[in-house]
Amino acid sequence: MMLNMLARILFQVVEEPHTEEPSGADLVLPEINELIAGVIAFSIVLVVVWVWARPAIARTLAARQDAIIGQLKAAETTKIEAESLLTDYKKQVAGARDEANKIVEDARKNAESLRAETVERTNTEAADIVRKAREEAAAEKDRAAAAIRAEVAALSLAVAEKAVVGAMDAKAQQKLVEQYIAELGGLRP
Amino acid sequence: MATADRIDGYAAAILEVARAEEQLERVGDELFRIARAFEASNPLREALTDPRLPVERKKGVLDDLLGGKTSPLTVNLVGFVVSAGRASDLPAIADRVAARAASARDKAVAEVRTAVDLDAATIARLTAALNLATGRDVEVKIVVDPAVIGGVVARVGDLVIDGTVSHRLQQLRETLNQR
Repeated sequence: MMLNMLARILFQVVEEPHTEEPSGADLVLPEINELIAGVIAFSIVLVVVWVWARPAIARTLAARQDAIIGQLKAAETTKIEAESLLTDYKKQVAGARDEANKIVEDARKNAESLRAETVERTNTEAADIVRKAREEAAAEKDRAAAAIRAEVAALSLAVAEKAVVGAMDAKAQQKLVEQYIAELGGLRP
Repeated sequence: MATADRIDGYAAAILEVARAEEQLERVGDELFRIARAFEASNPLREALTDPRLPVERKKGVLDDLLGGKTSPLTVNLVGFVVSAGRASDLPAIADRVAARAASARDKAVAEVRTAVDLDAATIARLTAALNLATGRDVEVKIVVDPAVIGGVVARVGDLVIDGTVSHRLQQLRETLNQR
């Protein structure tokens, strides 16, 4: 109803005939009626906007702001998580590197130990082989010497026995028996 | 019966028979010589101890070897031991007979081995020397054994006095082998 009244006033103002011709500044300035109508119209629009549009806009902006803030917080959280993950990753990488270094170091130590052990065992075995060879050579030498001695002794004894048996005539036998009897005289029970 | 008891039994029986026949010294001496021949001769030992050989065959061997050389009583006594299957015990029985016979005369048996036989004078001097050396009255039993080569070895019980050439050669052999 109010709008209808305003519209009627405005139309009346607009529909009043011009009494005189405009000139000078009147050409630039609007008619007072137009001005009033414009102000009223503007006020009405302003009120409408202020009463209905502004809260809606404000809610939209607030929602938008909240969304942006939420997104910023999410982004911040994501960033923190990413940084945490990065830190963990770096730690894991560092750990893996340390582990790899340790494995390499252990492998190097094991290889060195194995090499030293192998060298020592080889040296020991070589020394044993040399020692056994020397012992066997010495034993073989002793055996050969013993065999030669036994052979020489056997030959010497065979020769001596043959010579003795050949020399054992009755006179020699009697002499040995007499010598035995004489030696018995030196024995006492 | 243990071997020692069995040998003692045979020795006692032979001793009593020889004593009854008043041939103790001769039988003892001959038995001793036969025992030594039995020890020295592998064929004789194998023939008398072979269980597959009949007893009559063994007695035939004894007759061939001893007939005319020893008294018939000795041959019969040896034949008795052989026919009883105790030929392997003959040396021990002979030693026991000699020892018991000597002991009955308060003497000890001296087994004397030489390469050649000794005359009576030498045996007498050897017996006297052994009496002095052992402190016992010995009865010398001579065994001619060419293996001794020369010299004399006497065994009285467990005592052995060795002066043979073979013993000296053996000592020389051991000395040379030890060097």
